Amino acid sequence: MTGVPARPPGPGPGPGRRSFLRGVAGGVAGGVVAGGVAGMAGGHARAASPPSPDADADAAIAAGRLPAVPFHGRYQAGILPPPQRRTAIVSFTATADSRAELTDLFRTVTERARFLTAGGTPPPVGIGGPPPDSGTLGPAVVPDGLTVTFGVGSTLFDDRYGLAALRPARLVPMRSFPNDDLDPAQCHGDLVLQLSAGNTDTVLHALRDIAKHTRGGMQANWRIDGFVSPPRPAGTVPRNMFGFMDGIANPDTSSQAEMDSLVWIQPGTPGEPAWAAGGSYFVIRLIRMFIEFWDRVDITEQENMFGRRRASGFPLDASGIFASPDYTADPTGEVIPLDAHIRLANPRTPQTASSRILRRSYNYDRGLDAVGDLDTGLIFTCFQQDIKRQFETVQTRLIDEPLVDYISPFGGGYFLALPGVRDGSDYYGRALLA
Amino acid sequence: MRVWYLTGYERVNVGFGARAGRIPPECRVYADGVMGTTRLLAAAAALAALGAAALTGCGGAAPPAVISVDAGACGGEWHLAGPGWHTFELRNTNDVGGEVDLVNPATGGIYAEISSFGPGTSASMSLDVGSGTYAFRCLFQDADPLTGPVVTVPGHADGAPAILPVTYNDLIPPAKAYQGYVEAGLRALARQVAALDGDVRRGDLAAARRDWLTAHLTYQTLGAAYGTFGKLDDEIDGRADALGVDNPEWTGFYRLEYGLWHGQSARELAPVAAALRTDVGSLLAGWPSQEIPLADIGLRAHEILENALEYQLTGHDDYGSGSTLATVLANITGTRELLAVLRPLLLPRYPALPSVYGWLNRLQALLEKQRRPNGSWVPVSALAPAAREQIDAACGQAVEELAPIASITEPRNT
Repeated sequence: MTGVPARPPGPGPGPGRRSFLRGVAGGVAGGVVAGGVAGMAGGHARAASPPSPDADADAAIAAGRLPAVPFHGRYQAGILPPPQRRTAIVSFTATADSRAELTDLFRTVTERARFLTAGGTPPPVGIGGPPPDSGTLGPAVVPDGLTVTFGVGSTLFDDRYGLAALRPARLVPMRSFPNDDLDPAQCHGDLVLQLSAGNTDTVLHALRDIAKHTRGGMQANWRIDGFVSPPRPAGTVPRNMFGFMDGIANPDTSSQAEMDSLVWIQPGTPGEPAWAAGGSYFVIRLIRMFIEFWDRVDITEQENMFGRRRASGFPLDASGIFASPDYTADPTGEVIPLDAHIRLANPRTPQTASSRILRRSYNYDRGLDAVGDLDTGLIFTCFQQDIKRQFETVQTRLIDEPLVDYISPFGGGYFLALPGVRDGSDYYGRALLA
Repeated sequence: MRVWYLTGYERVNVGFGARAGRIPPECRVYADGVMGTTRLLAAAAALAALGAAALTGCGGAAPPAVISVDAGACGGEWHLAGPGWHTFELRNTNDVGGEVDLVNPATGGIYAEISSFGPGTSASMSLDVGSGTYAFRCLFQDADPLTGPVVTVPGHADGAPAILPVTYNDLIPPAKAYQGYVEAGLRALARQVAALDGDVRRGDLAAARRDWLTAHLTYQTLGAAYGTFGKLDDEIDGRADALGVDNPEWTGFYRLEYGLWHGQSARELAPVAAALRTDVGSLLAGWPSQEIPLADIGLRAHEILENALEYQLTGHDDYGSGSTLATVLANITGTRELLAVLRPLLLPRYPALPSVYGWLNRLQALLEKQRRPNGSWVPVSALAPAAREQIDAACGQAVEELAPIASITEPRNT
C-alpha cells in the first residue's frame, strides 16, 4: 500500500480509518481489499467539450423513444458513443459443436442484432408455434437506442473450432492484479455481449431475444447489469457510487486520428490477424465498492484519493470540470497528492499519452451482501488497441493506490470487440470464420 | 356489413369488417435472403429470417388501406392486389363468440386464426400472404361452419404456409397408442416398486437404493400422463417443497430417496415404500378407465423437458441419489414416445422435425457421458462447468424445437 496522502486528512476524521484497515489487514503487503479502477474518475486528456444538458434526449429516454443507432458500419456502433443509461454485459461459453455451427451462431447473433437495433414489427403469431417475440416492448419493437457489442475471448481460439492460428497475439486471459479478488465464476468467457439502451426493458428484451435464438450455440455463464446516472447537476458528468463524477476525461472520440492511435486495431499491426482490423480490445472489470465504509470517510480524504472535488468534479488545482490538472506546478503533491487516482491513472506526460484508454463505466446494484451492506459498485470497461500498452499499464500505476481499501475487483475478462458488420450481407466475424 | 342466415332455431349475425395493409415489397428482402442459409437451429433461423424482414418497419409503418367489404358471408367480398405482409383488421359483429380462420379453401390449411373472438370485439391478423387462394372461415357458437368468398392472390410469391389443422379425431390414434405405452409402463412400474418394497421390508437398503433408481426412472418416462394421474402423481412423485422434508405427509419416490440417501432406517422407510407400492397399484388398477386429454399429447412434447430443465438440470429434485441426469434421460424417452405417436401428424406439418431429433440426440449423448463405469451418475452439482453448459444449452435448444408441436397439434374444429 502506498503511504498516507501527501496532504493530511482534513478536520474531523481523527485517526485515519485506512490505518485501521491496514491494521486489520495484518501486514499483508498491499492490503486485502484492493484492486484497480483504472481511470475511475478521470485522468485522460480530452479536447472535447463537456456534454451539454439535453432535455430532448432525457425526454426521449423517458418515453423510450431514442432513435435507432445504425447497426452497419466499419466499427461496432456501441463503442464510441457515451455510455447509455442501461446496460447488460453477458459472458457466454460457445457450445456450438463445429466451426460451421459457430459460424451459424455468429450469423444468428448478427441477424437478431440487426433487427433489434433497428426495431420494427416482429413476425405475426402464427398457428405453427408460440409467439416469435416476447412482446415485452409492445406490438412493435422500439429501437430505444439499442446497441449490441459482440466480442470474443481468448478461449474461443483453443482447439475446438480450428481458430488457434487466427488468435490475435494480444488477446490473452485477463490477469489478476495484486489487489484483485477474482471469482472464477464471474471471469472470462468465449464470447461477450454488451447490450445498451435507454431503458431496462429494451435491454432485457434484446437479451431474451438473442438467447432464445441461440440456445444451442452458446450458454450464458455470467452476467451483470449496469446503469449510468443522469448528470447531476445537468451539464456535468454522471457519477459513480462514491459520488464522484466518472468519465470526465477520455480520448476525443470525434478525432479519427486519436481513435486510430488508441482504440481501433489497425490493419497490418504486427501480431494482429487481418480479420481483427477495425476491432478493439474490450476490458471488463467488475468492481465492488464498499460504499458504507466510504460514507464514513471524511470528504477531504475522499477528495484527496480521487484528486477531484466531489461536488463540482473540478481537479483540486483548477476551477473547471474539464480543466487539466497541472502536475508540473505541483511536483510534490501539495495540491493533488502524488497517489491521487487521477494523477496515477493519467500523469499527463508525453510518455504516458499512448497508454490512454477509452473508458466506459457503469454503476451496478445487485442487492445485499452477507452482512446486509449494499452490493453495489462499478462495471469498469474500456476499449483500446493494446491491453498491455494501455489498460495494464494504467492499472499497474494504480496498484496500491489509496482507493484500494474501498473497492474489490471480483470479475470480468479481456475480450476483442469484433470489427463492425458492414452491410446486410455481412455478419459478425465473417473474416474470422469464412 | 351484415349477413343474416338461419341456423334452424335462431338468427345469427355473422360478419366482420376486413381491411388489409399492403407492405412494400422491399420488406421481404431478408426473408428471401436469409432463409436456408442458417444450418444452426433450423426453426430459430426461420424466426430470425422473419424477424429480419420486419426490421424495415413492415406491418405497421403505413396506415393499412381498407379493402372493400360488401354484404356476404363470413368476411364478405374482399381482395388483395398482390402478395406481401398484410394486417387484417377484423371485427366480430356477431352477437356470439367464435373463431375466425384464414384458410386455404383448397386444402383446408390454416394460415392464421383468431380464436376466442368475442362478440362485438375487434382483432387483427397479420401474415405474409403468398400467391394462392385465401378465404375466411367462421366457426361461431351454435352455427354451422361458414366459409366466405375465395380470394385469389396472383403471382408466384411464397408466403406463410398454411398448416393443416389437427382435429380431435386425428388425435385419437396417438392418444390410444400413448395410453397403451403408459399402461405397459405402469405394469413394469408395479413390479419394480414391489421389488423395492420387498428390499425395504427385508432391510436390504443397498438393494433398495438400486431398485429405487430403476423404478423411479420408469415413472419418469410417463410424463405426459401425470396430469391424468391427478392426485396420485403427487402421492407418488411429490416434492418436499411446500411440506418440508420432515413432514409425514410427504410420500413417494422423492421421500424414499431422501431417506435412503440420508441414513434413515429400513423400519422408518417401510411405511413409505408400502404406500408407494399401494399408490402405484391404485394407479394401474384405475388406468383403463382414465383418458388422457387429447390436447395433452402435443402439449407435453415440450413440457416434459421444460420440467427437466427446471427441476432436474438445476439439481432441485436431487434428494440424495444424484441421479437427476438419469431422470432427464428417462424424460427424453418419454418425449420420444410422444414424438413417435404424433409422427404421422407432425411429418406433413413440422418441417423442423429432424432438428427436434437432432437436439434430443445431442442432449442424450451429452447425458450418457456422465454415467460412471460403475453405473452411477455424476450429480448435477459435481458436473464440470463445461459439461454442464453443454447439457443446459442442448436442453434449452431442444425445448425451443419442441415448443411448436403444442401449437401444431392443438385440436381444432373444422
